Formats: sequence, structure tokens, C-alpha cells
Amino acid sequence: MNDETKVQNEPSGLGPTDDFTTFMRKYQDMVFTTSARLVRNDAQAEDISQEVFIKAHEHFEMLSKSPSAGGWLKTVATNLSLNHLQRYRKRWKFFSEFGSDTDGEESPAVEFAAPDTFFADVDSDERRAWVEEALSKLPDHQRVPLVLYHFDDIPYDEIARRLGVSLAKVKTDILRARAALAKILSRGGASLEALTG
Amino acid sequence: MNTNDKNELEARVHRTLRSLPNRRAPSGLEARVLAELTRRAALPWWRKSFAHWPSAFRFTFLALSVAAAALLVYGAITVGNSQGAHALSGGLSSGFGWFTLARDIVLAARDRVASLVASVPRVWLYGGAAVIAVSYAAIGALGAATYRALSVERSPS
Repeated sequence: MNDETKVQNEPSGLGPTDDFTTFMRKYQDMVFTTSARLVRNDAQAEDISQEVFIKAHEHFEMLSKSPSAGGWLKTVATNLSLNHLQRYRKRWKFFSEFGSDTDGEESPAVEFAAPDTFFADVDSDERRAWVEEALSKLPDHQRVPLVLYHFDDIPYDEIARRLGVSLAKVKTDILRARAALAKILSRGGASLEALTG
Repeated sequence: MNTNDKNELEARVHRTLRSLPNRRAPSGLEARVLAELTRRAALPWWRKSFAHWPSAFRFTFLALSVAAAALLVYGAITVGNSQGAHALSGGLSSGFGWFTLARDIVLAARDRVASLVASVPRVWLYGGAAVIAVSYAAIGALGAATYRALSVERSPS
């Protein structure tokens, strides 16, 4: 799934744009979503999105002709979001690691909820909201690597390098994040089977 | 959790997350960006970063900086080698007599504090230091425990 070198996802169907406003309207949802999923704060995500587009404006001559403008924006949004998180993480690192959970401990077995018809009449917006909320409930050290791995297709070692943690910790955190996500959705009456159809 | 379960979980989580559409950006984002770009464009060139200065001014600034540095180095070498250097140092020390006075005051205060500390029994000194260290550690531990407790309350796992 992530065997190849990381490549930022390029939104499909978006070609080069001459006008900056049109350019911004095409990509703003993607940029905001990328940031919001990492920082878990809409106001901060909006600030970061603004910064991304201001940087994009400085390089607009290049971006307007580039087919990989979306990938460039996503990379910048991810980097700025991680920088933002690192700034706050450094302040609380001592407290968050004091007596923290032990690494290497086996994750508890996840029992998937039996497929049900609970979501038979639930529309996609509501389904999206459930999953987004479940994602936002994850703690930072689980959510951030999970988002980087599943949404940005960044491999484990690159995630470890960017976050400044060990490869083993990244793998453990992502595994626990998946288990926690499945657990949250199970408690909410959802199941991964039902959500993915 | 065995390998098959892990692989299945990864696949399901991946499908679930990748099926999520993008969230809608705030309606005010576009206006904010355009307003900020307009504000920055309206700034005079000397309030922007060096990279945005007109080329002529950048070149002039660099040339003046190099000239000033060369002049300082030349001046330092000239003064250091000239006979006037001794007269200059004498004039400087008389002009900075206040510095000598301030230095004497600081040294006197240091000696006074040292004599006061020497008069305090060692047991009191070490005991006081230990109390301060333990209090500091206790406050740090209390803060860490409080933070962890609040984090656990928010965490679902």
C-alpha cells in the first residue's frame, strides 16, 4: 500500500489555472482539510491555510502552469501543520511523556462490530461526520501519523523522520490509532464494514 | 492481534478514511487571503524583506556595508599601530571613571554577601537547598500528573 516512495496525492481533474482566485477556490477545500485533520482545530487550520495560499501566491507563476500544483499545496499544508504541532508539542513533551504508556505493549484485540443495517438510511454526509469526529477524538500522537500514512501516503520511515520519533513508535502509534478508531466507531454503533460498504 | 487481523484492520481503516471527502473550507478564507495579499502589496519597499527590495537599492546597500566594514578594519589597524593609541587609551580611562566606581561597588557587595553566607551554618544552607529542590520537583510532578489526568479524560483509548 505504501511500498513506493511517498508522493503527495494530486487531486484529479484540476488543471493549471491562470487566475489566482480561481486557483484558490479549486484547492481551498483540500488545503483546509489537510490542515484540519492534522491540527484538529478549525481556527488554526484556517490560519495555516491562509499561510499556504500566501506562499502559493509568491510562486503562482510556476504553480499556474504546473500540473502538480495540488501536490505542492498539500505538501506545504502538511509541513506548516506539522511545524505548528511541533511548536506546541515541544512545550508539553515533558508532561506528555511523563509516565506515558509503554511501547511494545500489544494492542488489545479489536472485535469488529457485526455488520448491521444501522447505516442503511444514513446519508454520506452523516457518515463522513461520524468518521471525522472519530478521527478528531484520537490523541495527537496517534492521529497525526495515522493521517500522514493513510491520507498522504507517506511511508513509515518518512513519518518517523518528520516527527522526530523512532520507526517503532510510529508503527505502534498507527496500529493503536487504527484500533482506537475502530473502537470509537463501534461504540457509536458504526462498524468499518458498514462504513466502507 | 495477529498479522491477518492487523492487515485486515489496516485495509478497512484505509478504505474508510480514503472514502472521506474534503471538508468545506471556511467561507471567509478566500477574502482573508486576498485581503492579506492586498495589505502586503501596499507596503512600501523598505518595509518588505530584503529579497523584495529594488535591485538598485539592494546593490547599494551591499556596497555600503562592504565599504563600512573595510573602513572599520582599516581604522582599527591604523589606530592600533599609531602613537596616538596610547594617548587615546588614557583619555578613555579618565572619561570612563564611573565604570571603575561601579566595579568597586559590585566587588564590595560580593564580599559582603560572601561573608554573610559564611556566617550561616552549613546545615541550614544544605537543608534550604534541599527543600527548594524537593518543592520544585513536587510542583513539576503535580503539573505532569494533572496534565496526564486531563489527557486521559479526553483520550478515548
